[in-house]
Amino acid sequence: MSRYHKRGFPLHRRDVLKGGASAVGAAALPSGLISDAVAATSTTLVIAAPATPQSLDCNFDVSLGTFEAIAALYDNLLEFKKIPDPKQPDAFREDIADHPDMPAGLAIQGKLAESFELDPAGKFIRFQLRQGVKSNWGNELTAEDVKWTWDRKFDLGAIGAFYLSTLGLEKKEGVKVEGKYTVSINLDNPNPLLAKLQPNLYNPIYDSTKCKAEATADDPWARKFIENNSAGFGPYRLDQLQRGQQAVFKARPDYYLGKPAMDTVIFREVPTSASRASLLQGGAVDIAQYLQPLEIIKLRGEKGMAVDSVDASFMIWLELNAQIEPFGNPKVRQAMNFAFPQEQVLKTVFQGIGSPLNGCMPNIYAGFTDKFWKYKYDPEMAKALLKEAGLSSGFKTSLAYNAGDPVQEPIAILYQTALRDIGVELELKKIPPATFYNTVSERKQPIIFYVDSPWCPDVGYSMTLYFNSASFINYSNYKNDTVDTLIRDTARTNDQAKRLELMTKAQETVMSEAPWVFIAYPGYHFARRANLKGFTYYTANNMRFQDFSREA
Amino acid sequence: MSNIARSGRAFSALPGAAEGDGVRFWRLRFFVAVLRARPSFAVGYAIVTTVVVIALLAPWLVPYGPMNADPSMYLLPPGGSHILGTDGTGMDIFSRVLFAPRVDLAIAVVGTFLSATIGGAVGAIVGYYEGQHTWRRALSTFVMRSADVLQAFPVFVFAIALVAVFGQSVKSIILAIAFVNTPIYLRLMRIQVLSISRLRYVEAAYVAGASDVAILWRHVIPNAIAPLVAQLSVNIGWAVLLTAGLSFVGAGVVAPTPEWGSMIAMGFQNVVTGQWWPSVFPGIALCITVFGFALVGASVEVLADPAQRRVLSGSLS
Repeated sequence: MSRYHKRGFPLHRRDVLKGGASAVGAAALPSGLISDAVAATSTTLVIAAPATPQSLDCNFDVSLGTFEAIAALYDNLLEFKKIPDPKQPDAFREDIADHPDMPAGLAIQGKLAESFELDPAGKFIRFQLRQGVKSNWGNELTAEDVKWTWDRKFDLGAIGAFYLSTLGLEKKEGVKVEGKYTVSINLDNPNPLLAKLQPNLYNPIYDSTKCKAEATADDPWARKFIENNSAGFGPYRLDQLQRGQQAVFKARPDYYLGKPAMDTVIFREVPTSASRASLLQGGAVDIAQYLQPLEIIKLRGEKGMAVDSVDASFMIWLELNAQIEPFGNPKVRQAMNFAFPQEQVLKTVFQGIGSPLNGCMPNIYAGFTDKFWKYKYDPEMAKALLKEAGLSSGFKTSLAYNAGDPVQEPIAILYQTALRDIGVELELKKIPPATFYNTVSERKQPIIFYVDSPWCPDVGYSMTLYFNSASFINYSNYKNDTVDTLIRDTARTNDQAKRLELMTKAQETVMSEAPWVFIAYPGYHFARRANLKGFTYYTANNMRFQDFSREA
Repeated sequence: MSNIARSGRAFSALPGAAEGDGVRFWRLRFFVAVLRARPSFAVGYAIVTTVVVIALLAPWLVPYGPMNADPSMYLLPPGGSHILGTDGTGMDIFSRVLFAPRVDLAIAVVGTFLSATIGGAVGAIVGYYEGQHTWRRALSTFVMRSADVLQAFPVFVFAIALVAVFGQSVKSIILAIAFVNTPIYLRLMRIQVLSISRLRYVEAAYVAGASDVAILWRHVIPNAIAPLVAQLSVNIGWAVLLTAGLSFVGAGVVAPTPEWGSMIAMGFQNVVTGQWWPSVFPGIALCITVFGFALVGASVEVLADPAQRRVLSGSLS
């Protein structure tokens, strides 16, 4: 029998005082430590994040903390040029627009590569690497590092295999070492993404010398080492990783672009957004990631705080599983959209800081159009469509949502109430965060939330991800032969005007057939202390520590 | 029931008690006198009674549907047409707070009674056969060691794991509550039966040719059940807390079902931005209810314990 049960009603004043003191102490301890760290030096950056990196191997891990770690520890061959954000004067963003006058039609420039040469037909790209670039282990960057990095994708599959298939790179020989500092990627067929995929966050270059030294017969690609350490050419090195608590990064004095302004970055796990907001308000941290809309609005008006709100590639929607009835019928899917109170959701759940998802790809990418949007809240239209589908008396279904995302539950409740008006009974299923992604990828739920962003700012890439019937993340099981053909044709031409034309047709069909319930573009909202400068928005929706400096 | 068995029951051993209606009247007077002497017990009974009445009459008491989200009324502060305000989806908090005990109490009561029934039955068998040198003794030992293993796990973590295994539903929460509480009743009943089964009247029943089942059912269990009853009320309050706790961490009742823990979880993110009411009111309701059950449990413990009863009756006389 437990102590509680033995004593029956064990509440004594001493217990209350002891318990209260312990609780206050426990709550104060981490923030106290963090405050001290911040106060100690202005070149220490403290971040309250929802999670620490689970793995540092970007070939296998897509968790939130891992994004920031990869961006700090590794660099890519190319990068998009940066421009001031048109809405947020202090912020910058990648210039992802089409630039027909520039090489490859993009505002792209070398990073680890000093220069690059792109085949106008889109069949090869050749990189001339910078010389004298050192990894955090002191090894110099060479073409062999690039070759080893791509070979690793071939042999390990997983996320690497996705990049290979997206590019149409079918054999290892496609990546050729042409000299100590010259390397090329050669394709059998033209691919318009050959240059655009190089700046992708999960396409960094490894220090192959160190990785080979750590490899074993059982682990030829140094998986165990890379999972817990870094071997890259990025601006930071990993100093400490305590999963579930914090990761500490140290700036590299020998970084080829100069030592970052922030010497030390403490990336601390604070699971609840309310706690992260409180720590920022109290001055214990410099940045609070992924806050809720109400918290963002509150912080905006506070002295010493700043929130950068920029347009982003994030989208949130509901997957309507076309293989589970009645969602195989486009009329039912349209009805589900007409019954969704989008305006109210944006006002109440997103507090007006998001915008309506009125298309099937990010509205910041070239080629996006909202001219096929027609799903303004109209329950009568929804009822009429259900009647046409032979479901005038409604039906029962279920909606699965992520318990770890605070906006999903209220959206689900509002939708449940709205669907009652058209005779649809919606059962809500709360899925733990740890298993939510598995639940999505199983594709066994009639309706499930999904939040995502295509990291490559390209119309064809976006449409392929979500609406190609062969795509592994087409979680709505949407299949339309015309759309498949349009997507395939878009992937085979380097003529950008032609690609945009094809993808406009594809968007028209998709919007008409409504494989999703379109919810919102939540935007990207970055809460920080006002004296922290340099925020830059990337299409991967992650921050990069090297961008920041502190004003005196 | 035999006279011998009757003589062992909790209240019939009251000082000065007589048989029949007189005993019942004396019990009632004694109970009222105890409530007067210990007003906190009366508060406990009043709270529990009120919560039960609210749970029963909730559909007639609430001004709004407890699951009707009205986005035009989101996060209204307490006052006006929404006495306790509204939550982030525009649901009326007053209506939901009043509806919540229907879920919380139903889960807690069913789960606790299930654990008492299973634990009590197994405990009685284990206790009855423990002194015998047969395979049954080995079985008893096995059952007790299994209970040790179950109780070695932190209750809350264990309950979360069970809900994860069974799936998130009201049935799963009931099963989890029953499962984590069963060892408590098993031990209580075992220790009672262990002592009672060695008494003369049990031996007499055995010599008279009564079967083991008859002895247990008619003579042993009725005399061993009082501590279990005392434990029930404490456990119901605790089960309400466990239900709310599970819902708070996302492993319990699915939103928007009106349930206190789930309501606190839905609203706690708003506290930091100044909207305290979606969490605080269900929190208060939960505290009061658990407090009420704890007081009732304390009173039953006193009333069921002959030593404490004697002290109390002495002070009342």
